[in-house]
This record gives sequence, structure tokens and C-alpha cells, in this order.
Amino acid sequence: MFKTVLITEMSKLRRSPITWISWLGVSLMPLVSGLFMWVVKEPDRATQLGLLGQKAQFAGAVADWPGYIAMLLQALGIGGTILIAVITAYLFGREYADGTIKNLLALPVARHHFVTAKLVTALFWFGLLIGWLAVEGFVVGWLLALPGFDLRVILPAAGELFLIGLVAWLLTPAVAWVALWGRGYLAPLGFTIFMLMLGMVVGATGWGKWFPWSIAPLFAGVAGPRVETLTPGSLIVLGATFIVCAVGTMLHLRYADNMQ
Amino acid sequence: MGDIVIAARNLSKRYGPVQAVDKIDLTVRRGEIYGFLGRNGAGKTTTIRMFLGLIRPTEGEVVLLGETIRPGVRKVFSRVGYLVETATAYPNLTVRENLAIQCRLMGQPQTAVDAIIAQLGLAEYANRRAGHLSLGNKQRLALARAMIAQPELLILDEPANGLDPGGIVEVRALLRGLADEQGVTIFLSSHILGEIGQLADRIGIIHNGRIIEDMPVAQLHARTRRTLLVGVAEPERAADLLAARLGFAVVPHAADGLLRIPARPEQAPEIARLLVDAGLNLTRLCPEEESLEAYFMRITEEASCSKPS
Repeated sequence: MFKTVLITEMSKLRRSPITWISWLGVSLMPLVSGLFMWVVKEPDRATQLGLLGQKAQFAGAVADWPGYIAMLLQALGIGGTILIAVITAYLFGREYADGTIKNLLALPVARHHFVTAKLVTALFWFGLLIGWLAVEGFVVGWLLALPGFDLRVILPAAGELFLIGLVAWLLTPAVAWVALWGRGYLAPLGFTIFMLMLGMVVGATGWGKWFPWSIAPLFAGVAGPRVETLTPGSLIVLGATFIVCAVGTMLHLRYADNMQ
Repeated sequence: MGDIVIAARNLSKRYGPVQAVDKIDLTVRRGEIYGFLGRNGAGKTTTIRMFLGLIRPTEGEVVLLGETIRPGVRKVFSRVGYLVETATAYPNLTVRENLAIQCRLMGQPQTAVDAIIAQLGLAEYANRRAGHLSLGNKQRLALARAMIAQPELLILDEPANGLDPGGIVEVRALLRGLADEQGVTIFLSSHILGEIGQLADRIGIIHNGRIIEDMPVAQLHARTRRTLLVGVAEPERAADLLAARLGFAVVPHAADGLLRIPARPEQAPEIARLLVDAGLNLTRLCPEEESLEAYFMRITEEASCSKPS
């Protein structure tokens, strides 16, 4: 039955505006990072075009492949966490916003299948988006003719993009739970932004590897010095967050009154 | 008790201080069309939600098609179609895509989609996005969704919402046909007694969360008040005469000046003779049956007055 539910969730996603909105969001990341690299690389031309003030400068920024990759990782560390939260909030919250949740709850289908199918759908789409990000990022970097091209740097970076995406996805059951609790999109989006801000603060205190919403930004190098590998503690925290929130979401859907 | 399709026992739902549904006992038999009537906020939708397991009762239980509804129950819902309150669908998906999703989830072959589209007259709109449908066609889509798996039991909350008069007649005929020809049991709620009176075999009236009437529709007609409607040139004098000679306490109706006498039809000649012999010009004399709406209003008002504080 899970497969059937997954097919229905995929077909719902295919016709949703969230697909092109999220694609647009991801597509902007290499473009903005590339523009930044170009400004660093060509400060005089950027100044002539009005993209850079006369006295502005980017302290420490280097226009090369490692610098560009670091910027993409940072963009995904924050932007990706928000984006996957938006996708998840949409997948769960739309059922309330469209009033269709009641149509799902009295069917010959176990309710937890809807939770797992939606989470898998989010993972599938986010995976495709990160794949696109990697390809587009490579093309933009190539067009910029950045120095320091080395497959030994680029290929692991592609893996790190997917790893950051996976870490961000592991937090989606919390978003889903809040979407069910809040019966719509707004609560989960507000929750994600609040948790990311909190994650930045916790990351700065040095306790970030123990706080789920600090881990992706730390790994991406946004919340303080970049953590190169995920510690076992961080993996346990992420796994526990995923399991507790996924089970909480399933139990909520099973037991909570649906008044819509 | 294989012929009992819905059995609610002592069913109650409380939201904080509000008792939305209060100890309902209700039985619906196979092939029956049960009309569930109540004013807005009477507890109809809450009851239906408990039938479908969308909300959990505070007390009591519901048994649908022999299975007690509790969290986790799902098999029975392959035999149940439903429409709760407003008709909803995925607005970005077409009518066909919405129905295809429902078809999959109900474990039906995709051929059922075309069949139900034809049955509900949705062919013209099959490739239109649900978000662009009129209210009436959204309602048809919701009914199609409920009926796609040819359920044994249909639970429909205000199924005529948004339909034009032609649509209401069509849906009424469709439901009657399902009950008569395929033995489908139909539980439908409405706040419009006229609609239910024309379709239901049995009727339940809910008021302030309590069932205040539960009877066959034929019996409902027997319970309505019957009066003799009398039009006369001098209604006050006629009223005095009727009170003095036949013991009827009547007053002329403020709006039309007619007298409504709580008498049996066979008393009409006696009343006519009395008034004519008294020199009163009789302009009208006919039996009048209380409308179902008037009956509904009367008993719900009586229930409100007799409600213990």
C-alpha cells in the first residue's frame, strides 16, 4: 500500500507550484554564488557596472574553485534547510490549506503511510534539486573560468552537497509535525526560521554539534568554523530527532481529532 | 445483526465546556436512506466525523458494517464512501487526476474513473483543474470521489450544497437509484427538511447534540399537525362561535386572517354548517397539513424550551 500512496504523493507533487518555486530557489544559489565570485574576480568591471561600491571589498574572499564550492555549501547549509522545510511544509500543510486532509483519513490505507510517503517524496525531490544544484554549480564555475579546478576537490564537494541535503532532510519530520499541529504552512515555516536562528546562536556557543538545527549550518561552515565531518554525537542527535518527530507525526495523524 | 450498517451507542463528544454530541443512539439498516436533520451547529457534522474516525468520541462507540471504529481501523473504509461538509479536491489537479488518486487509494482499477465521470455528468470537465470548477461541479466531484469504489455505505454531509435545482433533482434520483437498485445504505445530513423528506426512508433529528426524533418518514407525516383552514368574512365572530359551540380555541392568523382549527377533516361539514347557519360567509374550507419545515421548527423549539438548565 505504501507504493500506491507514494505514487499518489508523487503525482500531487508533479502538479504543484512548489516544484518550480523550489527549483527556482535552488537555481539561484549557483547564480548568486557565481556573481559573487565574478565580483571578487573582476572588481574593476563590477565597479564600472555598479555592482560594487568604490570602497567596498570582500575581505579574505578568493575567486577560485575551493572558494566557490565553500560558498555553495554555505548557501545550501542555510538555504537548503529552509527549502526542504518549505517543501515539507507544503506537502503536509497543503492538505489542511486545501481542506483535503479529511479525504485521506477514512480510507483503507494506514495513516502512517501518508507520513512516510510525503517524507520520501520530499527526499526524492530535494535529491533531484541538489543534483541540479551540483550540475548548475559546475557549469557556472566552468563559465567563470575559476582557477584551481581539481576533480579531487570537486567530486567530494558534490558528495558534501548531498550530505548537507540529507542532514537537512532528517529535520523534516519536525516540520511535518508542526504542520499537522498548526494545520497549514505558516506554523512550520515560522518554526524552521526560528530553529535556524536558534541554531546559529547555539552554533556560536560551541554546542552546535549537539543541536539538530546547528549541525547542517556547522557542516556547511555558516555557523562558525566549518566542521569537516559529522561526529557520532551529531549523527545520534539527528537520528533521534528524525525518529522521535516521525513517530510523533504518525501518532498525531492517527490519534488527533481532525476538525477540518 | 448483519443488516445493521451503522450502530452508534451512547455516542458523545465534548470540547471543553461544549457538549457537541450528547449520548446519541442511532441505528441504520442495510439499504435504508437515513436523513439526519438538524440546524447549523446541532451536531450533525461532529457525529459524521465520529462515524468516520476523523474525531474520537469522548464516550460511546460507533460500529460501521460490523467493525468498531477506533484509531487504526481501515479495512472497513474500502466499503464506505463519504463527503464531509465542504467539497474539497486538489486544486492544481484535474477532475480526472483527483479521481485517479482516490481510485488508487481505494484499491480500484483505473477504469472506475471513467465510469464515475460519466455517472456524475463530469465528462465535460474531466480535464479541468478542480480549482477552476464551479461550486456545483466541485460538489459533483466530491460525490464522485465518494462513490468511485461502489461503496456499500455512503455517508454524505450536506450533499446538495452548491448544486442548482436541476443538480439537486439529479443527485436525489442517483441516490434513490443506488439505494433501490444496488442496496447501498445512505446516511445523509442536511438542514433542509424538504430535501430529506423527499429522499429518506427514515429520519433522525438532532438538536443541541441530542437526537430528539428518530422515525420512518411515513410516521413523520402522521406526526405533523393537521388543521382545517377556514376563511370567513368575520373571523373574530367565527372564532368566538367555534369556541363557544365546539370548544376550539382559535384566533385569526395575523397575516392572512384565516382560522386554523385543530379539527379532523371529517369535522369539516359540521364546522361549515355552524358558520353558515350563523350567517357567516365562508370563503374557504380545506384541510391543511403542517409543512415538514414547520414541524421541524416546532419540535426543535419545543426541545429548546424543555431542555433542562
